Amino acid sequence: MSRRIGWALLAIALAALGLLLPHFWLFVAVEVVVFALYAVSFNVLLGYGGMLSFGHAAFFGVGAYALALLVTKGALAVPLALGLAPLAAALAAAGIGYLSVRLTGIYFAMLTFAFQMLLYTVALKASWLTGGDDGITGLRASGLLAGPRPWYFAAVALVALALWCLHGVVASPFGYVLRALRANPVRTQSLGVNVRAHQWATFVLTGAFAGLAGALFALSTGSVFPAWLNWTASATPIVMAVLGGIRAFAGPVVGAAVYVLLETVVTGYTEYWPLVMGTIIVALVVLLPDGLMSLRDRGARR
Amino acid sequence: MSFLGDLLAQHLGWMNNPTVVARQALAGLSNGMLLFLIAAGLSLIFGVSRVINFAHGALFMLGAYLAATVVRAASPEPWAFPLALAAATVGMFVVGALVEVGLLRRIYRADHAFQLLLTFGLVLVLGDVVKLLWGREDHSVAMPDLLSGSARLVTVTFPVYRLFLIGIALAVALGLWLLLHRTRWGILIRAATLDRQMLNALGVNVNALYTGVFALGAALAGLAGALAAPIVAVGPGLHVQVIIDAFVVVVIGGMGSVSGALAGALLVGLANAFGLLAFPALAVVVTFAVMAVVLIVRPWGLFGTPE
Repeated sequence: MSRRIGWALLAIALAALGLLLPHFWLFVAVEVVVFALYAVSFNVLLGYGGMLSFGHAAFFGVGAYALALLVTKGALAVPLALGLAPLAAALAAAGIGYLSVRLTGIYFAMLTFAFQMLLYTVALKASWLTGGDDGITGLRASGLLAGPRPWYFAAVALVALALWCLHGVVASPFGYVLRALRANPVRTQSLGVNVRAHQWATFVLTGAFAGLAGALFALSTGSVFPAWLNWTASATPIVMAVLGGIRAFAGPVVGAAVYVLLETVVTGYTEYWPLVMGTIIVALVVLLPDGLMSLRDRGARR
Repeated sequence: MSFLGDLLAQHLGWMNNPTVVARQALAGLSNGMLLFLIAAGLSLIFGVSRVINFAHGALFMLGAYLAATVVRAASPEPWAFPLALAAATVGMFVVGALVEVGLLRRIYRADHAFQLLLTFGLVLVLGDVVKLLWGREDHSVAMPDLLSGSARLVTVTFPVYRLFLIGIALAVALGLWLLLHRTRWGILIRAATLDRQMLNALGVNVNALYTGVFALGAALAGLAGALAAPIVAVGPGLHVQVIIDAFVVVVIGGMGSVSGALAGALLVGLANAFGLLAFPALAVVVTFAVMAVVLIVRPWGLFGTPE
């Protein structure tokens, strides 16, 4: 019962924020939920499946570019493009994942990195299609979604739906197989589970949701840039997931919120945001390797 | 047919000009040897501790800045540049040792994600530290007079500094080979690359080995940075491309293999030099495609050994 009240309170709080926040903070709030989805999609791979992808930005970027190209070159309506962008990301993830899940550990990370850099250089060099370094700008949601406030509600609702789906996946028997093959792939294989097929399916699924996050962010900022596909962009969801804690489903959500809010505040005071973030990252992995959520658990245990 | 002929003439016309080919080959060779110095350290560190040191490019950059400062302070003395090389090498050796003992050592047992994040965090920190210490503008380092001329080989003139770079890097490669194959410490490094647990069980002080290898790799990166300083713009973005190139080299050559790093560095150096001449847009894409293919077919690289 208390759980239901909690959800109701959260929904009321989100609605109140949507009605009360000034436009700038509405934009920040959308960034928080979009990156929460991106980080959770990454963490289903890492925290549940034990797969460290260092190329997750590839799918965020493919989703963003797919949306931008469908809207600008394909003249598609925004909602339709928003539906197709995750499919494009899933397609990319199917190809990359098929080749990548055959490797494990750090080699898996490096191969996903290589593919992401491949896509990054294509986005950078194929300027006839992608606008090169200048990216694609001038994207805008129209009709019902136009304006910061309707867009906030649309983005929050879509991300909530997506997170609900992802939670359904990790809570399903499929999700438990995923945990099993993280803990002991050989044993899981010997129980008759097709390990690679499960890893591949997870890779494609999380790629699709990262693509949705990318498409939402493209609409939110009105633009797409090749830097979204660069290797440093693949570190962002890792930072968020580790910051919040990779052993809890909601960990990356907390991590994304802290990261985005911190970035917004710190960049207002100093241009040395990388220095601040880098120091936090170094301190975090050395001192608090289980993430912020572990503080709550530690408190609860007492 | 004539379309293809035109295309080839447009992209490969320079092949008829032996001077251009020779010059490009030398540029590729010297860039490749510089890349080798960086990649060798990256590879050794990965081989022993299984950590991908993303901060390796930042150590290279720090070496270049340190060299710029020393050269400015000590010029016009003739020993300014040798002193800069030594300062960058020793300085990064110390920084490397401190990073390993103070930070990395604590998280060897943790998930790969944590090691990746730690070195990534260091990239962010060091990238801003150089801005704070040296400003945002590019610094240039004067080439030592002795090396600033050009030499004539048969019909082509080469900058002497490029030849000097190749010579130094070859000497370092030889030194590394002797270290790895003729000293007890080198044998331990190679043993650790093959089986760390066994080495530990045999009673070897693995901690000291990890620190030593990390510091050695950092020193090589610092030396490479100082050597590169006279031929690049020493600025805050210097580390970005370097780490990606070095990473590609190490993956192609084989993680943990120094000869692999040499082969990979020459391959990437020459491919960049000629690829950029022939197909500028495609060259970078091809680099990562090659890296992906190597990982798919031989994840342990061309010269590495499978786990």
